[in-house]
Amino acid sequence: MLHLLKIDLKKLIDYRTFWIICGLYFFTLILGAASGMEFLKWLGRTIEGFGQNININRIPLYHFPDIWQNLAWSAGLLKLGIAIMVVISITNEFTYRTIRQNVIDGLSREQFLISKMLTNLLLSAVSMVLVFLIAVVTGLIYSPVFDYPYGFTGIAFYPAYFLEVFAFLSFALMLGVLLQRSGLTIVLLLNSYLIELIIKENIDNYIPGVVPFFPLESIMNLVPLPFARYAFQEIRDYVTFGSIAIALVWTFLFNYFAYLKLKKSDI
Amino acid sequence: METVLSIQGLTKNFGKLCAVNSINLEVKRGQVFGMLGPNGSGKTTTLGMLMGVVNPTAGSFSWFGQPPTHQLRKKIGAVLEHPIFYPYLSGQKNLELMAMIKEAPVSNIPKVLELVELADRKNDKYKTYSLGMKQRLAIASALLNDPIVLILDEPTNGLDPMGIAEIREIIKRIASDGKTIILASHLLDEVQKVCSHFAILRKGTLVHSGPVDDVGKGEEKVEVIAFHDDIALLLERFDGTISVKKEDQQFVVKMKEGFHSQDLNRYLFEKGIVATHLLTQKKSLEKQFLEILAEAEHAALIKN
Ligand SMILES: Nc1ncnc2c1ncn2[C@@H]1O[C@H](COP(=O)(O)OP(=O)(O)O)[C@@H](O)[C@H]1O
Ligand SMILES: [Mg+2]
Repeated sequence: MLHLLKIDLKKLIDYRTFWIICGLYFFTLILGAASGMEFLKWLGRTIEGFGQNININRIPLYHFPDIWQNLAWSAGLLKLGIAIMVVISITNEFTYRTIRQNVIDGLSREQFLISKMLTNLLLSAVSMVLVFLIAVVTGLIYSPVFDYPYGFTGIAFYPAYFLEVFAFLSFALMLGVLLQRSGLTIVLLLNSYLIELIIKENIDNYIPGVVPFFPLESIMNLVPLPFARYAFQEIRDYVTFGSIAIALVWTFLFNYFAYLKLKKSDI
Repeated sequence: METVLSIQGLTKNFGKLCAVNSINLEVKRGQVFGMLGPNGSGKTTTLGMLMGVVNPTAGSFSWFGQPPTHQLRKKIGAVLEHPIFYPYLSGQKNLELMAMIKEAPVSNIPKVLELVELADRKNDKYKTYSLGMKQRLAIASALLNDPIVLILDEPTNGLDPMGIAEIREIIKRIASDGKTIILASHLLDEVQKVCSHFAILRKGTLVHSGPVDDVGKGEEKVEVIAFHDDIALLLERFDGTISVKKEDQQFVVKMKEGFHSQDLNRYLFEKGIVATHLLTQKKSLEKQFLEILAEAEHAALIKN
């Protein structure tokens, strides 16, 4: 297993595009986290300009425990960046035909796929740890207090965030294996949300209750949007077993479809 | 002799097109086996099936008497059609990656780079290599894991004469190490120059297979020029002679099987004649290749 991961990492480690995209991803993550507070201050000043007064410290965006879900959800938007990296990594193998040579050299097709999946796992794990660390640091900076154990509420969103990223990367990997061209795959990846939205909106009238079972919807449901709570709305601030189960099944299916395609095609 | 590769009824259809049609073949250890056939005759497809990248429609094959697995492929060095590498990695890094996949010792890398004379360019990115360097790196990569079998598919395709000579020299050097080599080519003289055995493919069908030496066998013809009045008569009387023909100033002696030019030379010498010109006309592979293809064409015509 570790050997297969090392093989895939060896392909990436000297690939400049990989580092540029990863760098941009993590840089945006940190910048996004750091600028949220500035945005709030600006919002406060602007509203003040209209003659009203809000106390931005009353919006506990960066306070424990809100920070956990807030950041996990926000970071979830950026997973598209790593997904594009995954698409490039897999479609390169088809355009350069290196997948063919890998198999000739003695990797089985399953092993080839597993090596890509392992990289996806690693990227998801690194991303989770990083977002977690940013949450800890910003939380410590802005939180007035940290009361145990209340401050840890919602920390379960981190394993959920991990699954969210891994599920989405599995989706990207599958699209890459099916389409084999980077441009086409990225376009479809970007449009997949819109396509799913159209289907979701229309199907709900016919089969009520089916929407949470849609693939991208199930990935989004892992960490639900938290910010509505600042407008005094009810939000779900805990991880549900059902959302995990649905996302896990889709993750399995994405990888399985990729496997089937690889298995039966001439490469 | 130990069988390295055995193929039974191997077939590949691409939709309606039958690219490889029920091929049977055996390759023994130590052979340099040429797969000869015009472009599109199914050579690469056959090799692709042997290396697990093309799924056969029917038939089977075994390497070293065992059913094929990805583990076995690690002991086969193969380059199909074009060299394939990661363009953004250096030659060295590409080979390191390949060594990981093949579970080959990294210490083999300098050796194979030396063999193909790429050691001084090993740190340059693959995409900056010339075609000849790419082909040579491909051969180096195929040799990386001390393979028992080497598979080369049109290894000199697109090279200039010097590059072609270099690659052939390398192949001969490898063959003299006793490695089994399977060489696919549409170039007759390439197969004739380096192969001990060969098979001919035509539109996916195997139409001939046998040793290359056979080609010269049977009816050897020897050109003789000697200044002696009775030369024609003497040549007629030689035990190994089937017939003698005069062409310009030289005689062409068709020899019986088992007789060679040196026997004729000795005979003449004993008669006190020193030939000024004595040359065996090898029946070229090209001639035989065309004959076999023509026969196959004919047979196909009759069948339809
Ligand atoms: N992936 C493929 N899809 C469809 N046809 C193919 C494919 N690969 C090869 N062919 C066809 O199969 C035949 C044999 O091709 P190939 O094995 O490459 O021949 P060769 O290597 O002897 O030149 C050709 O007609 C070619 O067009
Ligand atoms: Mg070919």
